[in-house]
Amino acid sequence: MLSDKTDTWVPVALSQDLPTGQAMPARTLAGPIALWRSQSGRLAASADRCPHRGMRLSHGFVRGEALSCIYHGWTYSQAGRCLRIPAHPSLTPPETIRVATRSVEEAGGIVWVADGEPDGKPPLFEGYVPLRSLTVRAGGSALSAATGTKAAVEGFVWRAPGAPAIRLLPVPQETGETLIHVLVPADCGVSERVAASRAAESLRRMAERIEAKEAVP
Amino acid sequence: MRLYDYVLSPSCYKVRLMAALSGVKLEIRPVDFHPGAEHRGPELMALNPGGSIPILEDGDLILTESSAMLGYLAAKAAPAWLGSGAPEETARIQQWLSFSHRLTASLGGARLHEMLLRPGDIGALQANGIAALRELEAGLFEQKMRGNRFLACDRPTIADIACFPYVALAPDGGVSLDPYPTIRLWSRALRSLDNFIEMPGIHRLHELKPEPRPCPDEA
Repeated sequence: MLSDKTDTWVPVALSQDLPTGQAMPARTLAGPIALWRSQSGRLAASADRCPHRGMRLSHGFVRGEALSCIYHGWTYSQAGRCLRIPAHPSLTPPETIRVATRSVEEAGGIVWVADGEPDGKPPLFEGYVPLRSLTVRAGGSALSAATGTKAAVEGFVWRAPGAPAIRLLPVPQETGETLIHVLVPADCGVSERVAASRAAESLRRMAERIEAKEAVP
Repeated sequence: MRLYDYVLSPSCYKVRLMAALSGVKLEIRPVDFHPGAEHRGPELMALNPGGSIPILEDGDLILTESSAMLGYLAAKAAPAWLGSGAPEETARIQQWLSFSHRLTASLGGARLHEMLLRPGDIGALQANGIAALRELEAGLFEQKMRGNRFLACDRPTIADIACFPYVALAPDGGVSLDPYPTIRLWSRALRSLDNFIEMPGIHRLHELKPEPRPCPDEA
């Protein structure tokens, strides 16, 4: 499993799920975050809470290089500074109004976030491309039991009948669930990608069945 | 064409949305669904003995199933929303139209329980809702692999409109949409359509409109 040290890169989403000009929710062990990509393509990550009224910023919208809250339109820069308060158009917001930000990096089609300042770059998975992310209501031990492989830090390869060998990147959530990013060999065609997606669905059913059995006293 | 309508009903919204997208003008007849239970009163029971809304009335034709209303509006004014007629596309449209009833029963049931305190097993309703959302996410993902952004093909059809509202309002029933990235992209694609209209709880995409500026005399 991935380390829970806060200076470690955590894979929170796939690049393909966050096009330019959009925001989405994600989680690190330090809590929920708003992940967003500006019109020019720059990624940013902040705490998922507007300091004004507590609305989730991942429900917000992106114009140009700024993220605005859906509730009253307070607008934030990539560095977390409040740029604009629409109800007070002539006011320059004081510097103290800001959202906490996170370090964010994109590597090999995966978006990585760190709560601190990691030394190195996030890892690359040569020969693999991201397929999809799914959330499993099971922890690492159920996942290891379902695949017969230890769910490791750098991910692990799993082969289901009738599907290509896929690489799974498990990310434990503080809810006890596991976010899994599924990667496939880069040369996979459409039918193999569909088969890999269905294999991941089967794995989720298996792991959740095991988790439910373990939960019964 | 007259729609017996309740503004907070996702099924009624399907019909208003389809009408807006296909350019059909509806005569809206508001129904006091809550707290008045007008849909169970003698006037509406005479139109629809099933006691549900929406009801769409066009001359002699009375429709009481929202999927049929979507098909009627599309056939009358915007046939492209019925798909190309290719066998696989036709089958996918029917598949998701039928599937949409499971969204109504599960996510819609959880929403009624949470918002209007309707009796029901909230845990089971939410679990069935999550199962349906996972199916939809997987279906949309496979479509994306085939180069299609929507449920039946690469353009929206009545199947997308049938599934969209109860999915978008899942959080009203205590079911999170956070774990479904492909549903999020699909929802955005639908909300980006020309003539898209809102309902309470489903907002438009603000970034598609010009940034509001104060009037000069207000500044």
